[in-house]
Amino acid sequence: MIGPSRVAELDMPAAGVETAAARPAQSYWNQSWERLRANRLGMAAGVLILVLAVIAVLAPVFSAVLTHYQPQTINLDQTFARPGATHLLGSDELGRDSLTRLIWGARVSLGVAFLTVALALTVGTTVGMVAGYYGGWIDDVLMRLVDTVLAIPAIFLFILMSILFRPNAVTLAAIVASVGWGSVARLVRGEVLSVKQRDFILATRSIGARDSRLMVRHLLPNVLPVLIVAASLGVGQIILIEAALDFLGLGIQPPTPSWGNMLTNAQSYFFHSGFLVAFPGITIFVTVLASNIFGNGVRDAFDPRLKG
Amino acid sequence: MLVRYVARRFLASLVVVLGVTLITLILMDRTRGTYVPGIDLNPALRPEDIEHLRENLGLDRPFYVWYLTWLGSVLHGDFGHSMIDGSPVLSHILDRLPNTLELTATAIVIGVLVAVPLGVIGALRRGSKTDHALTVTSVAGFAVPQFWMGLMLILIFSVTLEQNGLPWLPSSGAYSAFNGGDFLDRVEHLILPATVLSFFYTSQWSRFIRSSMLEVLSQDYIRTARAKGMSERRVVYLHGLRNALIPLITLIGLELPGLVSGGLVVEVVFGWPGIGKLAFERALQYDYTTVMGVTFFATLLVIAGNLLADLLYGALDPRIRYG
Repeated sequence: MIGPSRVAELDMPAAGVETAAARPAQSYWNQSWERLRANRLGMAAGVLILVLAVIAVLAPVFSAVLTHYQPQTINLDQTFARPGATHLLGSDELGRDSLTRLIWGARVSLGVAFLTVALALTVGTTVGMVAGYYGGWIDDVLMRLVDTVLAIPAIFLFILMSILFRPNAVTLAAIVASVGWGSVARLVRGEVLSVKQRDFILATRSIGARDSRLMVRHLLPNVLPVLIVAASLGVGQIILIEAALDFLGLGIQPPTPSWGNMLTNAQSYFFHSGFLVAFPGITIFVTVLASNIFGNGVRDAFDPRLKG
Repeated sequence: MLVRYVARRFLASLVVVLGVTLITLILMDRTRGTYVPGIDLNPALRPEDIEHLRENLGLDRPFYVWYLTWLGSVLHGDFGHSMIDGSPVLSHILDRLPNTLELTATAIVIGVLVAVPLGVIGALRRGSKTDHALTVTSVAGFAVPQFWMGLMLILIFSVTLEQNGLPWLPSSGAYSAFNGGDFLDRVEHLILPATVLSFFYTSQWSRFIRSSMLEVLSQDYIRTARAKGMSERRVVYLHGLRNALIPLITLIGLELPGLVSGGLVVEVVFGWPGIGKLAFERALQYDYTTVMGVTFFATLLVIAGNLLADLLYGALDPRIRYG
């Protein structure tokens, strides 16, 4: 254990440097936030994602106030209604309102995406950090595991797992994350390998800090920028994967609406109702585009080395 | 040196192949329940027949016994017979593989042919309107769901054109069922799926070539080439582009696994009789032998692709040494 007095000693030189500096010290996080705020397009994209998230959370309110329909209410007198006053974006083969279903579908798409990213980051960071920190045979075993996971044609895994766990939003996120953690683990391991060579790690170890403390308090904060960037760039890709799985019938099952499964049947109604294909796709496209633009902004702000 | 490197990589990849096939088998075994593949073909089966079928397929034994048996015959070059239709797994794979190769190879070639000029233009006119337009297109290309783009192309080029009495493109299959199969017929069927796949590759690779080109053009040897009075054209293409293309090799090598899983969605949307669609359909039916065969080949492709990319990389760039 580290006694309070020794921590105070260690802290003193740092405080001295701060007061000696002419201008107020700006932390890495402040600087990154300023850089991100200066990126207007990136911020606009971020706001759009935020708005979509609010719509997803408040889906019941929106469908009651704005569209006056429920996502699963069937009305066989109103099938294939054109977009117009009664159905803003038209209705499907069972007379269900498309806009209402899109609004409820946002819960699935965004919910699964955020959950997947959270899961993949947690597992990937833990594995990558342990592998990078301990090295040796632990590193070998864990990295061969990562190689294996990344070499499995992902779609098999998705098919088989979606049969194993009847997919709802949570299990679907777990399924997608079961592949996604591999690349995070590689990324984190690489960072840890370089960070652990630095002097401050040696210093911390020499005053007797335990491995767990070193990893959580000293390595993790240094890996955090890479994680933030990976997370914000990952959301868009995962929305795409999730939509494709729903489309193939491997994801969220009807009648629960999701952006992907709204397109599953649309192919049968091409000949008279092309709009049923257009709107869910445009929604996915705009959402992923916004996530990617925001993700690029975050990368440029938090990791300017990578600016492309 | 090189031989030892390849040998070590080969040994390491054997472990990966074993791991991948074993995980696939365990997942199938855990999810299958009491279902016996192929059973739905024959509703008149008695319970004892089903039990007999189970024994014949080796499904009454634990998965590790099944795995070792399978592995044994694979080592003898025998991939077994499909549990669904009884035909040899190898002939299934060899049937579908040419179609998949036709689609992916076309898409990769088109992707490179379009991406390289676009990337070079973007780099040479950095910050211009053209550059911005290219950036926007490629960022958009990342965000389009492939299956949706496929559906929209079918809606426009098959459905709408046909409804208006204009010449239209076929939306499904690799060739016409009747009187089809000649070169023009295959090309016609190839256009839409290849467009979707190559659009994706182009948007990815053109960005990559742009940044790679920018980096190369800022190197000292480019300044030297300019300083000795070499024409700008020669500087850009002879010295710049050649070096900028090296990393692209790795990227294309990494697309090899996409032969199976990456193209799957496109194959399903366009009813393309490829290996991805085969795997997808057979996994849903628990055709153990076919799924294991495809997994085996797919994993080999991933490993071969990575290795090939590494070796080509070294051949193209003598600065790289294998440790």
